[in-house]
This record gives sequence, structure tokens and C-alpha cells, in this order.
Amino acid sequence: MNTESALCFLFMLLSLALAGALFFLVARNRRLRAMRDAMLQEKEVIYSFVHDVSEVFIGDGSADMDQLLKRVLFYALRTAKAGAGAIYLRGEGNKLEPRAITGIFPPLSGRPDPGIDRAVSKSQHVEDMVRRQPVVFGEGLIGTVADLGTAELIADAERDVRVPQYAEDFLKVRSLVLVPMRFQQEVMGVLAVVNRVDGASFVQSDLNLLQSLADQASVSVHFVRLREALDAKQRLDRDLEIARKIQSLLLPKHLPRIPGFEVAASNIPALEVGGDYYDVIPIDETHWGLAIADVSGKGISGAIMMAICRSIIRSTAVGETSPSEVLRAVNRLMRADFTEDMFVSILYMVLDTEASTLTVARAGHERPILFRGDGSRASEVVESPGVAVGLGLPEQFDRTLQDRSVTLRAGDVVVACTDGITEAMNARQEEWGVENFLEAVSVSASEGAHSVINNLQQRVVRFIGEAPQYDDMTLIALRKLP
Amino acid sequence: MKECVIHREEHGHLDILHLDGSLDAYSFPRLEAALNQLRETNRNRVVLDCAGLDYISSAALGALIGFARRAREQNGDLKLAKLSPKIFNIVELLGFHKILEIHNEVDQAVKSFVG
Repeated sequence: MNTESALCFLFMLLSLALAGALFFLVARNRRLRAMRDAMLQEKEVIYSFVHDVSEVFIGDGSADMDQLLKRVLFYALRTAKAGAGAIYLRGEGNKLEPRAITGIFPPLSGRPDPGIDRAVSKSQHVEDMVRRQPVVFGEGLIGTVADLGTAELIADAERDVRVPQYAEDFLKVRSLVLVPMRFQQEVMGVLAVVNRVDGASFVQSDLNLLQSLADQASVSVHFVRLREALDAKQRLDRDLEIARKIQSLLLPKHLPRIPGFEVAASNIPALEVGGDYYDVIPIDETHWGLAIADVSGKGISGAIMMAICRSIIRSTAVGETSPSEVLRAVNRLMRADFTEDMFVSILYMVLDTEASTLTVARAGHERPILFRGDGSRASEVVESPGVAVGLGLPEQFDRTLQDRSVTLRAGDVVVACTDGITEAMNARQEEWGVENFLEAVSVSASEGAHSVINNLQQRVVRFIGEAPQYDDMTLIALRKLP
Repeated sequence: MKECVIHREEHGHLDILHLDGSLDAYSFPRLEAALNQLRETNRNRVVLDCAGLDYISSAALGALIGFARRAREQNGDLKLAKLSPKIFNIVELLGFHKILEIHNEVDQAVKSFVG
């Protein structure tokens, strides 16, 4: 070998090494660029995510949970290149409810659904299926992630027994990541994504990124939840305030003076305002109507029903001395405004001051009690049949209802109440009951109607003590002056 | 606030729901869901066994009327059985016994469904 060919060989060797090095550098460069691009992309994803989450709070200050979750999910799918995902939030009790769903997210509890083949829109059908199935805390994949508060990566879901294996291709779960949404020590929900769009499996870095997204989002979710609770409470307080105002406007400010008789009444509204009402209505020169009623609804709807009820009784009472006729009219006129679970129990009594009789009609209400003022302390329940206004068919109501009359003698007292009185409960969950009611009236009947009402009210309030008052408590008493 | 535990027993074409606990605004939705589920699957003959029921709010009773009415439209019915004296009092006071069928025993209620 001469020097020339040796040099030539060396040169070739050198250029080969150079080409190799160059190739290596280019490849490395490309790899680095790809890594940089991926990192930039991740960075961008995180930036835009943080930006988007903060956007939810900018504006009028009203934060919408569904919108927030939708955004979170959108970025979660983008981050993990996932085809579908869902966010479950802890709802009432031990349930986790799907609050946001994107893509075809198959039910992970894996119940078969026969309707899928017939469904017009498969994706809508799958979403409905998932939405109908809240997850129980601690049960199944999602419930377990929520319970333990630790993320779960199932790279190859088709070999995992915990993942339901669907025959339909579009329902197949190939790869899956579940991360808890935590705030402080509490798990508020679970973020789940399935199937990468590029067909690859999820890897640990997907889980890490999703977890940091979930951690960010959880802070926002926590505050939106607080805000929702606060808004609901404020709405409720406003509702109660309105209901209380309506109710106080409807109750008589002063009771009329009835010649030869004394009438007294009281109403203690419950915290939730139950919809009780009482009224004393002049019918003609010698007749007076006494009404006491309990509407089944509470709050504003209860107060409005009560207002309608009061107006109808007032307008039909004039000139009508049969109480059952008035209640039949009330039932006919009110039914139209009722939903099927609404009803009103009404006791309506007509006092004839000349004949000294009290005629009673009872539409599903507590029976009035008559205490004799002859010193015998005897009491009797004034019985009359009837069903509550709004219940059953109108013919049934009309047929059942009947007037019953009692003659009132000097010193006799008639007392009527709503179930808030007899069913009043103390902290030990004991009921005040009819016995206590009778006892309270019998010791005060001789002192007059006002005394009866005051005594009843004091005793029942003392009995309830520190326990919350669940229902309105309303009383009305009539006494024939001795 | 007490819960209401519902145990469903299938009895041929009818269902017996055994209730245990209290039915108020808080616990009623569970019974409502159970009744809705029965209706969705076209099972309209229901007996509520109230032996274990210690309280029912009047609003919950009102809602039962709606179920009974819809069941009757489908040739079914909703009947109550084994009411405690206390619960019967509430039912009777409001006049529900004129609208809903009430039986002393679950068996009687079951037999009263003919056909």
C-alpha cells in the first residue's frame, strides 16, 4: 500500500466518521427539537389551561360550575391527547355524579345496555347512559380513586379485569387514566380520560400532567362550589323573607268583635314558613266565618297558594251560611292551580250568633274541640267527614264533605289548630300530642279565649325548647261569653 | 332526619315495597325514584308495606296520590298496607283513605288486585 492510497483510506475513514457524527448531531438535534416542541406544547397547554380557568372567574363574578368543568375537561383531553373524558363530582350523600362528559366516554361500571343498537345517536345514547349512572363512593374504578385519593394509570385496559370489555368497537376502553380532584384533605371528584387519539397507551407523564391540571382545577372547583352554596343560601333567605312578608300580610291584623262572643288566634311561623293561615270573616249581621288552613307547600309557593285560598274563601263566604258549600266552591276554584301533590287542609266554621250554633265543615283538617263551660271540664271532638282540598276527584270531595252543627252555651270554648301544634316535637323527638293540648285548654278555658291561646302557645313553646320548629303553629279559639 | 330504607319484593305482576324509616321531604325522593323506576318498566301494581314506617309527611302522602292516579290510568293501582295507628291517623285526618286503598295486611292488598 503506498502513501497515497493510505491517505485516501484515512480520508474516507475520516469522512465516514464525520458523516456519522453529522448524522448523530442532526438526529440529536431533531430529537431535542421534538422534545422542545413537546415541552413547549405542554407549557402552552398549561398556560392556556391556567388562563382559561382564571377566565371563568373574570366578569360579573358569577361562576358557572358546568362551564368550568367543560373547560377543564377540554384542556385535560388536549393535554393527554385523549379521545374522551369525564369529570365526576361528589354530590348528595355518597354519590359521584358525572358533571361533564366529552367524546364517547363508555360507562366504566360496565352495565350492559340493550338499547345501544337501536339508538339513533350512539354518542348521545352513551352519554345518557353514563349520566344516568352515578358512581358510589368507594365502588368501581372511579369510586375507588375518589375514596383513596390516588391516581390510577391503566396503560393496557384491555387486559385489566377492572375495566369493562365492550364488544362494540366505539365503546372499547384501550387505555385509561383517572386522577382525583382534591382540595386540602377532601376529594371533590375524579377526572377520567380514555383512549389516546393516536392509538398509543397513556404513560406516567400523562398521569403527572393530568394530576397537576386536576390540582389547579380543584382550587377553582372548590371556590365555585362555595359560591354556589352561598348563592343558594341567599336565594333561600330571600325566598323565606318574601314568603314571611306574604304570610304576615294575609293574616288579620285585628280580629273583629263578635257580639256575645270572644275570639282569639295566633300564628308562629316556622323557620321554613309552612303556609298556615287563619281568618275571621263577617258573613252577614248574625253570621261569622272562622277559617283555619294548612297549605301543603312551603316557602313562596305555599304562601301564594295560601293567598289564593284566602281570597276564594273571603269572596265565597259572604252571604253563605253553609260552610261545606264554601269549601266545595274553594275546591272547585282552586283545583285548577294545583299540581297533583298539592293540597290544603281547611277547617271552616260558621257561627250563628242568634241561634248560638257553630256549623263545622272539615276538609282534611284537624278536628276542632269543644270544651264545655259548665264546670264539668268535659271536652268533645266535633266530628265531620271530609277530604283535603285538591285531593281526589271533585265529585268525591263534594260527596264526602258534610256540615255538622253544635250548640254553644255560655262559657263553652271551641279550639282549632294546625298539625304544627299537636305534632310539635322536642329535642328528644317526642310529640306534644293531643293529651297535652286538651290539658292546656281545660285549665284555661274558664279564663277566656285569649287566655286559652296564650296558655297553649306558652306550653307548646316550652315543650319544643331548643329543638327547631318544623312547621307553622296556628291556633284559633272562640268562646261564648258567660 | 331519618332515612327510609326500601326493600322491593317481586310478586308476579305486582311489586311490594317494604318501607322502613320515615318519609319526609328529605327521604321521599328515594321512594319516588323507586316508584318511577317501576312505572318506566310498566309495572303499575304496587303495594306499600308500611309496617316499618314511623312517620310520613303530608306532602309525601300527596305525592303518592299522583302515583296512584297514573297507575290507575294503566290499569294498576298503588295500595297501602299495615299502617301504624299513628300513620293511619294522619291518613284518615286528611281524607287519604277515601282516595287510596288501605289494607290491614299485605296479603289482603295483594289479593285485592284481581286478574
